[in-house]
Amino acid sequence: MVDSPTLTKKFQKELNAGIASLVMLSVLDNSKEPMYGYQIAKLLDDYSGEASFMKQGALYPVLRQLESSGLLNSSVEPSVSGPPRRYYEITSEGKETLVVWQGVWKQMKSFVDKAIKGV
Amino acid sequence: MIKSIDEYLEQLKMELKDSDSATVQDALADAEEHLRTALANLKQEQPDASEEDALGQVIEQYGAPDETASAYKEVERLTHPVLVSGSPKDQSIIARFFGVYTDARAWGALLYMLIAFVTGVIYFTWAVTGVSVSVSFLLFIFGFPLALLFLLSVRGLALLEGRLVEALLGIRMPRRPLFSHQDMKWLDRLKALVTDKATWLMIVYMLIQFVLGTVYFVVFVIVLSLSLSFMSLPFIQLFLSTPIVSIDDRVIYLPYWTLVLISIGGLLLWTSFMHLARGIGQLHGRMAKVMLVVD
Repeated sequence: MVDSPTLTKKFQKELNAGIASLVMLSVLDNSKEPMYGYQIAKLLDDYSGEASFMKQGALYPVLRQLESSGLLNSSVEPSVSGPPRRYYEITSEGKETLVVWQGVWKQMKSFVDKAIKGV
Repeated sequence: MIKSIDEYLEQLKMELKDSDSATVQDALADAEEHLRTALANLKQEQPDASEEDALGQVIEQYGAPDETASAYKEVERLTHPVLVSGSPKDQSIIARFFGVYTDARAWGALLYMLIAFVTGVIYFTWAVTGVSVSVSFLLFIFGFPLALLFLLSVRGLALLEGRLVEALLGIRMPRRPLFSHQDMKWLDRLKALVTDKATWLMIVYMLIQFVLGTVYFVVFVIVLSLSLSFMSLPFIQLFLSTPIVSIDDRVIYLPYWTLVLISIGGLLLWTSFMHLARGIGQLHGRMAKVMLVVD
């Protein structure tokens, strides 16, 4: 018996692992102001609509990792309600990297499309 | 079914118990920030929803503790080797030797060596005064709250020192205090603090810091003044016409080529010291991580 839902879930997770960094960098590149985790999660929810691609909790380690590689900067600011928030913004290295990554993504997309269509 | 954010954080901590302690604290801080914000927003949108339902929805979107933990573990597993490899290996030896001037960690370590002198004195005074006053007043009933206050202040100072270590030495340290149990009776809190090995390690760190801080400061000042005087020797003889060596009433003017060598020697001395400072900083950071981070 093939456990299709579990396999699909695993496939989705593996896809996300690569794409999350690209998505997060793009979101912060498009935003004029620094954003905190919950804002990013909300925005991604709007983008994904009914289909939810990844758990919001999985965004944060990716943000931390992008920050430690120097592609993002962050600062903690107190909020009126609740705990202080960590605001993220893209660095100039991040912008340069994003351009390269978007190129990679385009090539990858057309490659996968061709493979699926079999042209 | 998770009933409160604190319960979620407890479970997340359990799931992450084998991970790097700094990662655990980051994961907890992220989760707390997100869950509280999301819960507050949801309550505004749906004022009728019960606390439990609202939290359930928020956690459904954020991910269960085990899912969140696995996301952090995954990233930690993938990125760890990248973080470890520090300096680029493809540069020449000379470039690497002088490259230390562009390394923020070396400058940070120098600054830390200066600051450690001041903080060392403060920590030492605070620890010695606190311990002796607390212990002697334990004869009286009011000695107990005093001891509790002192031990709490040790925790606070340890967190503060951790922030300093992370900012200047680049070693990851906790960013938030551990969740203290507000509902505990104060006598139980005192007992928990006294029996916790971490508290005593922190006090030992505060005592050691006095010695280390003094040594760092002295070495820093000696090497700085030596290097600067070596580097400035040619200019003193050249422009001020002052002899550099004088023995009794005999004065010696050094030949100019040796002056250049001495000057270069001063520069090399300082550059080597920057490397040494960076190394000391890393070692000190590791020690701080062992002694100040509560597992």
